[in-house]
Amino acid sequence: MKAMIRCFSFLALLLLLVGCQSQESEGKEKVQLFLDWTPNTNHTGIYVAKEKGFFEEEGLDVEIMLPGEVSTEQIIGSGKGQFGISFQSQVTQARSENLPIVSIAAIIQKDTSGYYTPKSKGIETPKDFEGRVYGAYGSELEKASLQAVMNKEGGDASKINMVQVGNTDYFIAMERDIDFVSIFYAWTGIEGELRGADMNFIQPADFAPELDTYSPLIITSDDMIENDPETVQAFINAVYKGYEFAINNPEEAADILIEAEPDLNPELVQRSQEWLSPRYKEGAEAWGVQEASRWERYANFMIENKIIESVDIQKAFNNEFIEKAMK
Amino acid sequence: MKIKSIWKPALALLIAIALWEAATKVWQIEVWLLPSPSTIAKEMIIVFPAFLPHMLATIKLVLVGFSSAIVIGIIVATLLHIFPTAREIVMPFLVISQNIPTIVLAPLFMIWFGLGDFPKYLIIAMTAFFPIAIATLDGFNQTNRECLHYMQMMGATKKQTFFKLQLPDAIPSIFSGIKIAATYSVMTAVVAEWLGAQKGIGVFMTLSASSYRTSRVFVAIVITIILSLAFFGLFLALEKWFTRWKRNEGAQ
Repeated sequence: MKAMIRCFSFLALLLLLVGCQSQESEGKEKVQLFLDWTPNTNHTGIYVAKEKGFFEEEGLDVEIMLPGEVSTEQIIGSGKGQFGISFQSQVTQARSENLPIVSIAAIIQKDTSGYYTPKSKGIETPKDFEGRVYGAYGSELEKASLQAVMNKEGGDASKINMVQVGNTDYFIAMERDIDFVSIFYAWTGIEGELRGADMNFIQPADFAPELDTYSPLIITSDDMIENDPETVQAFINAVYKGYEFAINNPEEAADILIEAEPDLNPELVQRSQEWLSPRYKEGAEAWGVQEASRWERYANFMIENKIIESVDIQKAFNNEFIEKAMK
Repeated sequence: MKIKSIWKPALALLIAIALWEAATKVWQIEVWLLPSPSTIAKEMIIVFPAFLPHMLATIKLVLVGFSSAIVIGIIVATLLHIFPTAREIVMPFLVISQNIPTIVLAPLFMIWFGLGDFPKYLIIAMTAFFPIAIATLDGFNQTNRECLHYMQMMGATKKQTFFKLQLPDAIPSIFSGIKIAATYSVMTAVVAEWLGAQKGIGVFMTLSASSYRTSRVFVAIVITIILSLAFFGLFLALEKWFTRWKRNEGAQ
């Protein structure tokens, strides 16, 4: 008799465990989100949505992935991942090569990247770029963008010495053979402030408005939108809430990111979040909304500079999901 | 190599290319995922004028880096052969030096030595000198014992034994080391360029990959393979020339 009770209770326990497990995974759809770079404050809303359970409420189990050497755009386009972080320039270029990816939300409305240079180098305006060494990250766009920025002052970008710098520490590289680089102010710029570096920051959009792009933004594939719009909607609903939270509670949002990624410098995350939070939806009716005119303007810039031949901008971005998430 | 020995792998390669071409047509694989061989060939013709300066930059890197590797490799092996104590001390460090991945070493070199060509020569030389040094050392150790005794009996000095016997005897070993190193010196140059360069096949690859021109990435891969084979072939020919000279001398 005792043996039987034991046996039954063991079975019951087993069932309970199995039950619990299936309960946990049941109805929770597993999706993967591929970042564009190492985790940083551009991604805060996603970490908030994960830690605060916004994804769970929508029935999603989201895994945040680092892309490594493979491009996030190709991972998403080939269906190996469902969502990713990318840039307007990358999406436009990818779309022109028939990569089936779509931008479904702009993370930051204004491009926060720009040219960064130690004050001691004496680069005050884009005209001063001539004859200097630019530390490039490896894109065909870089020269065209530099030329666009220099046009206003009649500068010549072909007089810039372009060197690909890869993963080098920018600050160390700029001490010797690099004169200026392109960075995200919210991250590397704030890091420079923390290190006490005396730097100049030149924003491309101030000189060439067509370069004001949505960067970064969230992408998914044509296939997801066509065959699984519910998942895309659920994802955007949660991310929308995540960024709204990060906009209204910068300090708490930064703490969530620090806890999720303990390798990050907490001081940098806090300062960066403070700077970035008010900028996520600056000037737009809501977080994530994208304007067709900005997509067109940038595509034209790329076509004029022969970086792409043609692109169907209507396929490159989609506001549907954001509009539903706002309600 | 004789034509007889080459037609089998050539046929296998042709069949593989045909299957690849057919697969991309049958399954209608997107160009950005996997371009067909014909697309790659077309792209190669279009892009070659723009590609040429990149290719020349890489060839220069390999030539300088690799020839220094040969010189350093043989000198290091000779020194270690002459001073056995040094050999015991230095050997572990040489092995360790080969275990540091290029991908982490290259950015460090760029920080220490700037973004010019020098750190890239250093990376190529560092990876390529090791097999050359090891093979050369082995060659020195496998000197014909009888000849060695013979020379010692005749009262030859250490210097004479080394230059008249050990070094010429080691030439085939030295070349096997050089050939091993030659096969991946081009690849090392490309990886070094990924991590910081103005020109080169590695830069071209990065630019093409970031603009999703997969067919151009493949053009770069094909050229890298051809260059590697060419370097290998060059040293194969040199080896034949050197050993023929040796044979001739032996016959005299």
